[in-house]
Amino acid sequence: MPWYLYLALKQLFPTGRRFPFFTAISILGVALGVALLVVSTSVMAGFGHEIRRMIVDTQGDVQVRADGLVADSAGLAATVAKVPGVVASTRFAAGLVQVRFGDKRLYPTLQGVDIEHINGVIPLDSYLRRATLDDLDDDSVFLGIKLYDLLGASIGESIDVFSPMLLDDSRADVVTLPRSLKIRGVLEIGHQALDESTLLVTMRTMQDIYKLGGATKGLNLKLADNEDPDAAARRINAVLPPGVHAASWLTNNQDFLSILQLEKNMIFILLLFIVIVAGFSVTSSLLISVVRKTREIGLLGALGANPRQVAACFCFQGLIIGLGGTVAGLALGLGTLHYRNAIITVFTKLTASREAMDRFYQFSQLPSWTTTSDLVLIVSCSVVISTLAGLLPAWRAAKLKPVEALRSE
Amino acid sequence: MLRASGLKKSYLSGDRRIEVLGGVDLAVMAGESVCIRGESGSGKSTLLNLLAGLDAPDEGLVEWEGTEATADRRARHLGMVFQSFYLIPELDALQNVLMAARMLGVPGAAERKRAAELLARVGLAERTSHLPNQLSGGERQRVAVARALMNAPRLVLADEPTGNLDERTGDAVVDLLLGVCRETGTALVLVTHNAAHAAKAGRALFLHGGRFA
Ligand SMILES: Nc1ncnc2c1ncn2[C@@H]1O[C@H](COP(=O)(O)OP(=O)(O)OP(=O)(O)O)[C@@H](O)[C@H]1O
Ligand SMILES: [Mg+2]
Repeated sequence: MPWYLYLALKQLFPTGRRFPFFTAISILGVALGVALLVVSTSVMAGFGHEIRRMIVDTQGDVQVRADGLVADSAGLAATVAKVPGVVASTRFAAGLVQVRFGDKRLYPTLQGVDIEHINGVIPLDSYLRRATLDDLDDDSVFLGIKLYDLLGASIGESIDVFSPMLLDDSRADVVTLPRSLKIRGVLEIGHQALDESTLLVTMRTMQDIYKLGGATKGLNLKLADNEDPDAAARRINAVLPPGVHAASWLTNNQDFLSILQLEKNMIFILLLFIVIVAGFSVTSSLLISVVRKTREIGLLGALGANPRQVAACFCFQGLIIGLGGTVAGLALGLGTLHYRNAIITVFTKLTASREAMDRFYQFSQLPSWTTTSDLVLIVSCSVVISTLAGLLPAWRAAKLKPVEALRSE
Repeated sequence: MLRASGLKKSYLSGDRRIEVLGGVDLAVMAGESVCIRGESGSGKSTLLNLLAGLDAPDEGLVEWEGTEATADRRARHLGMVFQSFYLIPELDALQNVLMAARMLGVPGAAERKRAAELLARVGLAERTSHLPNQLSGGERQRVAVARALMNAPRLVLADEPTGNLDERTGDAVVDLLLGVCRETGTALVLVTHNAAHAAKAGRALFLHGGRFA
């Protein structure tokens, strides 16, 4: 161990002093910042992960769409099934409708369900409340839970569904009646916008209301585990007839996913400032230490130290505080994440906000998703910041001339 | 061993230039002890710092064994003792002595043994693990003497090593310094106000008006 590293350690942890307050407080500052970064990026990533899962659970991994309608969706499904990596497919069709119940009028999206195939791609059963997929017949409907609440309807009652096709009919002086559908169950996906705007019917009913004949809008595909959706979409596109395209859920939801990423990055940068502020406090305490130790720095010069080594001595102190703080912060952060649900339970009990928590976040458990890359980023930022924090004191120390330092009172 | 020729040094105070050293020549032979006396402010400390290579002269040259005095060579060639002891407060007596050895590389068992022997030689065998604030002034200065001798330098520069000590302790430290240097064949330049101490050195010089009188 070179002398400057030895002295750096000794100045931080002096012999014979049981608890080095100076060092402990600097380390604690860095540790708090790091812990907050670990907790918040993990929770943000957890929310992101839940949302991604939900997107895949409602759209499949890859969506195949035509410029217009797909007349022969069975043929298309057979073509796509041959592409390696594709595990299952289900037909989909969706369109806006007006729903009337009593004097309420709402405009949700009507979706046709390919009852035989849907469970291979989308775990629809896990979203259904008070019903199973078998309950859906051509005269019944499942409502998103928010939509159900907004309408104020109850199970067993009927709603009227008007499709935009009625406009064409009325222009042609044909009188068509709205379709009356019986509410059979509710659907809770856990995403506010989806739960407010989803109306599920059988594919046949959808085709009837939207006058699609036997056509659909396309296919939702399920890929094998660990398959790259974009690569699979490219492979599928290669075998598709002209006018039909495949796109992965990543591509289809690019804007939304980049907002999630942006949000996570913003939080990271904001919380990074806590580490930066902790870095400033390390700088100021090391600067004080340089002033306090001026005469000793002169003595080191007299013993034959060169300015670069003196600088290294103080730089290392910043680095050691940074490393200590980072390790402590990782432990604190990961510990907090591990006990997060217990902590939240205590917290919500104290503030009596359990219900609000459940209602707004849809999770009774806080999601968390800690990735190695996030941890590596946090660790490198905090180590770099603490090293930078030692730089100014190091420069001051190196600039001291031994003669003047020894002369100082 | 040590040769200084034509050393000049002046300081700017306000807009007046004060010449402290006006061409000092000094040669110290190996193993010799030289005492430098002079009034307060006559430039003794300034001269010693120049000899140590801690400061650069305005004019003139300092050579150790024929080559120029530089900071990098100081650790091996030179031991220094000051009026204030300048021990590192976080380190115990033994580690303070070893600090000199650390400048040259990681100290091994041989260095530890030598440091302990030096501490025993200055009468601190029982105090090796005391921190500086657990030592008396005289004891601290003896640790500083041991530190100056740690790397077996050919030359020791001592700037009023007794200035902060009472007479009895001061006498003891000077006797120790002269004794150890004589035993080990180390040259010594000792700055002091004390005529009795000066008399014990091999050669006494008097600094006045920026030159040796
Ligand atoms: N950095 C400096 N700037 C300005 N003047 C200085 C500086 N260092 C020393 N001097 C001046 O140089 C002169 C010599 O100082 P020096 O410390 O060498 O004296 P000294 O002989 O060691 O005195 P003493 O016996 O009191 O220790 C003094 O007049 C002092 O004011
Ligand atoms: Mg002096």
